[in-house]
Amino acid sequence: MNSLSKYLRVFSYTSVLALLVQSPTLPAQQFAELDTTYQSLGNKVCATCHGAYGRGNPVVGAPSLAGLEPWYLRSQLRKFRAGWRGAQRDYIPAYEMRAAVSNISNAEIELLVREITSWPDPEPEPSVTGDAESGQLLFAGCAACHGTAGTGNESLQAPALAGRDDWYLYRQLNLFKSGYRGGHPDDISGSQMRASARVLENDQFIMDVLAYINALENL
Amino acid sequence: MKKSISRRELLTLLAATGASGAVLNASAALNLIPDTQITSPRIPLADPSRPPRIVVLGSGISGLTAAYELDKAGYEVMVLEAAPRAGGRCMTVRSGDLIDEVGNPQVCEFDDEPHLYFNAGPARIPSTHRNLLNYCKELGVELETFINENKQCYFQDDAMFGGKPVKNTAFTTSARGFMAEIMAKCFDNRQLEDPFDQWEVEALMSAVRAFGDLSEDDLFQGSTRAGYAHGGFLEHGEPKETVAFRELLKSRFLRNALTANEGETGPMLFQPVGGMDNIVKGFTRKLENRIFYNVLVSSVKLVDQGVSIVYEHDGTRYRLEADYCFNCIPTHLMAGIDNNFPADYVEAMRYPRRGEAYKSAFQTAERFWEKDDIYGGISWVNAPIRQIWYPSHGMHRQKGVILSAYDFGGGMHFTRLSQEQRIEAAIRQGEKLHGDYRHQVEKGITIAWHRINHMLGCAARWQSGRRGMTRQEEKLFQTARRPAGGRHYIIGDQVTSHSGWQESAILSAHWAINDMVARQANGTSAMPGTPLAQV
Repeated sequence: MNSLSKYLRVFSYTSVLALLVQSPTLPAQQFAELDTTYQSLGNKVCATCHGAYGRGNPVVGAPSLAGLEPWYLRSQLRKFRAGWRGAQRDYIPAYEMRAAVSNISNAEIELLVREITSWPDPEPEPSVTGDAESGQLLFAGCAACHGTAGTGNESLQAPALAGRDDWYLYRQLNLFKSGYRGGHPDDISGSQMRASARVLENDQFIMDVLAYINALENL
Repeated sequence: MKKSISRRELLTLLAATGASGAVLNASAALNLIPDTQITSPRIPLADPSRPPRIVVLGSGISGLTAAYELDKAGYEVMVLEAAPRAGGRCMTVRSGDLIDEVGNPQVCEFDDEPHLYFNAGPARIPSTHRNLLNYCKELGVELETFINENKQCYFQDDAMFGGKPVKNTAFTTSARGFMAEIMAKCFDNRQLEDPFDQWEVEALMSAVRAFGDLSEDDLFQGSTRAGYAHGGFLEHGEPKETVAFRELLKSRFLRNALTANEGETGPMLFQPVGGMDNIVKGFTRKLENRIFYNVLVSSVKLVDQGVSIVYEHDGTRYRLEADYCFNCIPTHLMAGIDNNFPADYVEAMRYPRRGEAYKSAFQTAERFWEKDDIYGGISWVNAPIRQIWYPSHGMHRQKGVILSAYDFGGGMHFTRLSQEQRIEAAIRQGEKLHGDYRHQVEKGITIAWHRINHMLGCAARWQSGRRGMTRQEEKLFQTARRPAGGRHYIIGDQVTSHSGWQESAILSAHWAINDMVARQANGTSAMPGTPLAQV
């Protein structure tokens, strides 16, 4: 029996038929014919690290992208491209992100922003254990820019905090504190955050404020 | 109190170990112990009117093995691959091929000739890897010998001989000579609880003398094994001067010199003629129309009596339901794919660290190593490149492709560098061995597995320490190997205790198939006729 017809007999539903039509089986090793510039943007470009539709992957240190504000995505992609973020070799995830977007064009950034903002907002999984009550007091310092509900303020270049992955916020707060993030002289908003992050003197403070941010989602 | 073990006691111990060895053999398939048995699964032929549906995620060696075996048995098999090529880390790079590193895509610029290729992933097949060799035979993959140790290669370490490279043969002749002399001098029959008799002692000492090429009075006074300074054929030869053993002790390579040809990398080793990916091509030839490329899986969910997959292809999302799923997507990437697996299974998937192995290769203008009596084999350099491999094929052609760096353990040193820096560093470090190196290098290519698209890592690492898995690690490891919901199998070298070898990937696929067959036989898997539906 012809192997293809045997195959179609069972899988002859719209999806697979469409797949077969769209993608006649390529002989292996034709990848050389691919253009090495971006084949397609969005899920294809981001998914390896950031997971399917930008849901995030803590194992490789890649935060969720879905749900980020378009202006923030745009500004961070530009900061990575300019080397304001990810220039240090000893924080691998950011360094890899910088490598990934170092040659990206403005038009590609816009396309990415458009695609990412169309993805469903993933439900973050809280992972920190802190004292939300004590965190609430500390959050007063954050609220000035990020809003009392942690929903962000574009005019101050302060992104939403509520709904983000706490493991990622934890890492970023520490990167701000160490100057890895916000340390570039041209990065005005980053340097503001860098100064603000110093208020969170120790790990417990960070955990507490993150516990409060986690709780904000449900308020 | 310390007690020496008599030979008799040792034998008793060995016998006991032998008995438990038999037990271990029996459970080898389950535990994937490096083993010599061919484990080809025996799969009952599927009912042609209602064959079970299998989705294989990823076309690495384990995925291809599972797909091939199940297809052969009449199952309906579909392989979804994220990349535009099959094979996973089994990858051969030739002229025009793409190395899809995130942020650093490279197109190979080697000359377009069959012998100018680079096995970027696995490059050696030990003769004990019977299952892999069995597939080579079955799929018509022609093999040739791979030369791992070559006595004409070098050891170079800035710590010894002022950084001057030493031929392996000079190195090992000296090391063995001195070690044999020490053995001969220090052997004391009276210290054995059960002393050897005169014949045994003579047999032993004769072997020790031969091991080190000692003189009649048990002294090492140099050996022609290290080669001749001149002569040796028409004229009487003048042996080369013995390299000072004390210098060798300054380098950590003494260990490598004595073990490079032992165990799994000992003779014989093979490579497919023309590139390791001929194995991949062997499988894909048999799986025509079964493998779909550029497919991104976004969700893998256990459903009643099966697994439901959502994937994207060419801008459209599809749902596909299957009876069983064999998944060789790296577990660290599965953590970014929507799923409804049990919490302990997810925890296990997230645990292994990503391997960091790094390789680079150079096309050279000439096969300059052949002028130095080197045909195949490995030189060791105490620098981040660690090793230079000379090709085991293409002898006496004009050009060759050498492996110019291989960091099998770390690799992040090179991974962090830019492409230009990687090439320059490998040239600079290689110059320690070959003076003319820089002028010989024509084209360079690098592979930092930690950053390769759709993989982001080399061999999975379950162990945090050097002494095997902790109890917690063992628990996670075993959890990852059990099928989630009895339907979803993680496969690949990533769930074996011997990651980084294709044999492990194959054994893992065989194990999963055998487990599935057993479950079917137990009636734990009725086949529902779930239709496919577009999302």
